[in-house]
Amino acid sequence: MSHHAIKAAGATVLAALFATTALAQDGPIRIGVVTPISGTYAGIAQQVTWGLELAAKEVNAAGGIAGRQIELIYEDSEANPAVAVQKAEKLFAVENVDFLTGTVNSGATLAVGQVAERAGKLIATTVSFADSITGDKCSPNVFRVNARAGQQSAALAAWLKQQKPGSKVYYLGPDYEMGRSTVAAFRSNAEAVGAESVGEVFAPLDSKDYSQYFGALRAARPDVLYTSVAGNDTVRLFTQMDEFGVSQNLTILGASGTVTSQNIGAIGDAAEGFITGVGYSTLIDSPENREFVEKFRAANGADPDLYGADSYGLIYAYKAAVEKAGSTDSEAVRMALEGLEWQTPQGVKTIRAGDHQAVQPMYVVQVRGGQFTIADRIAGEDAIGADACERF
Amino acid sequence: MRDRLEISMQANHGLFAALVTAGLIFGAVASATGDVFYLRLATEALILGGLALSVDILLGFTGLLSLGQALYFGIGAYVSALVLRAAPDFWLAIGAATGAALVAGIVGGLIANRVRGVYFALITFGMAQIVARVVYNTRELGASDGLIGVPVLEIPLGPVSFSADDPLGFFLLTFVIIGLLYGAVAYLLSTPFGRVIVALKANESRVPYLGYSAWAARMAAYVVAALVAGIAGALYPMLRGFVSPELMFFASSGNALIMVVVGGVGTLVGALYGAVVLTVLKSVIGSLTEHHLIVVGGIFIAAILFMPKGLMGLVRPAMMRWLLARAEARAPRSGAVRRTTQ
Repeated sequence: MSHHAIKAAGATVLAALFATTALAQDGPIRIGVVTPISGTYAGIAQQVTWGLELAAKEVNAAGGIAGRQIELIYEDSEANPAVAVQKAEKLFAVENVDFLTGTVNSGATLAVGQVAERAGKLIATTVSFADSITGDKCSPNVFRVNARAGQQSAALAAWLKQQKPGSKVYYLGPDYEMGRSTVAAFRSNAEAVGAESVGEVFAPLDSKDYSQYFGALRAARPDVLYTSVAGNDTVRLFTQMDEFGVSQNLTILGASGTVTSQNIGAIGDAAEGFITGVGYSTLIDSPENREFVEKFRAANGADPDLYGADSYGLIYAYKAAVEKAGSTDSEAVRMALEGLEWQTPQGVKTIRAGDHQAVQPMYVVQVRGGQFTIADRIAGEDAIGADACERF
Repeated sequence: MRDRLEISMQANHGLFAALVTAGLIFGAVASATGDVFYLRLATEALILGGLALSVDILLGFTGLLSLGQALYFGIGAYVSALVLRAAPDFWLAIGAATGAALVAGIVGGLIANRVRGVYFALITFGMAQIVARVVYNTRELGASDGLIGVPVLEIPLGPVSFSADDPLGFFLLTFVIIGLLYGAVAYLLSTPFGRVIVALKANESRVPYLGYSAWAARMAAYVVAALVAGIAGALYPMLRGFVSPELMFFASSGNALIMVVVGGVGTLVGALYGAVVLTVLKSVIGSLTEHHLIVVGGIFIAAILFMPKGLMGLVRPAMMRWLLARAEARAPRSGAVRRTTQ
């Protein structure tokens, strides 16, 4: 058997093994979903899956995208960028997906975005917050349809400017990289709208006693406290501030993860008046959102959160882009996505062409009577911030 | 003159030759079919095999259970990524990663080798967690997001040069490097010094009575293991283009340990087989079911219960009997087939 014959025989055998479904233009549109089905972020992945499934079902029932059905192909990223990259390569090379989404942790989105760029494919994240994804580490092949961290800060700052112009702000963050960067982001936003920073302090994660910081806090005489602690730290910080009377005459703002449905019960009355900026809430009072929440509940037996809503909206953005482009070709879809305007549960979103970041209305929510209520709506343009992407 | 250690190493070399043959056939077929994904997956499996090899040096020969070997893999990967981002040069990256792993191995060894047994396992675990957390919170190292933007490398090898993006080329290069690491470790273990290391596992308290320093031998084994992990780690960003702190997390160290146990502890080549089997299984099962972690866990338990000597245990004893018989047949007079400890 000659060398060529061996190679040919092997090729035939392996061709069967490696074969990928032949893709006709009228076959289904394949969307890869690399999401942390197991691990720390499994709860987020569940919302992502629910949102994507619901939208895909609706689109398919209404005739699909330009007559082609949507097929979602899942891979577990185990919340580990190294795994996510390998799975993304598989979806691109073996499953031949047209588009990819689902990445949750920012590290995975950045790393998978690089894979997509080298493979000439497109991805979109519906979850990752890190500003860098559509900022200094932006990629022409990466889109983000959810609000980034900066938009939350900007929305809060816009509210601050309207309601408490020129106020004195004190910052209290958890002492790790994310805590420091969220405080820094809000600080620059607040100072940009004329607020005066009167001090900042970083407490270790899992602090038991926050009263040691109250002296400095009181001495600075702030009108507003901004904090980005989360989980049980919020419970201790807020209840201790309440017990020491520090929270009197003080408006408390925070990151969207500071007070959540998980810890609001434990914080109790001390959470009263707390204000944060979010990209989505089930309380948004629009016909689109009421309909979405109802359908989501009926399909999944649970309320959507921002991850579910943003993932749901993504399918409609992709549908609009493919129909505008007339094909699933990456280059054409990229052009169609840039500047795209489409309807989502939280209102009309626009993808900014300069950095591939979705511009969307932001909501200021406040805790009143132990419940979240919508206090204000900030127009997308006021919360989007500058385009920091220099690569395209 | 042949003894059990030599026979055992010969069996390993035979199995390594089988792995090389399988790898070459796979490479030829995959490139003939134009495959990219499976070649790159196999490359990653070999790189992780380097980490598993490092675990086996400690667990299988020195008798030390390290739960933090990914520390050195991660240091190699980060140093390589940082160097490549600044100056894309293959040898510079490998050299810098080796140097960093050497220094880190000496420092880590000085700390971990003060204790034995379960305390050693805990200290190695703790050191890896501490460094991973420091990296996780250091903005200059990309913090929790890791570092992307490692350029696609042009690798000069004498007269020829190829891109790390060329799946077959980089697969073969990785195979050569992992093969060299395997060969170097196997050689080292067959020297008199290597026998002192093996003696540590058999009976550490007797080693000083034979005139050797147990501490020095253990330290040397630890540093060699760190070097192997560091060099393997240096290849990772060349393949995937990024590094993230997860590479140093316990999941990485634990996976390497599973690879060694599934492949066969104390066989060196078993670590490589285990890495290939586990990586391919995880990729295939992961696409079939979302409960893939349960399946992999089940395989691990089954491997321990039914294959206590791992995959290698299925064929190695027969190979060793055959090699032993051949050695005896060749040297019937000397009567000196020493049956020393393995």
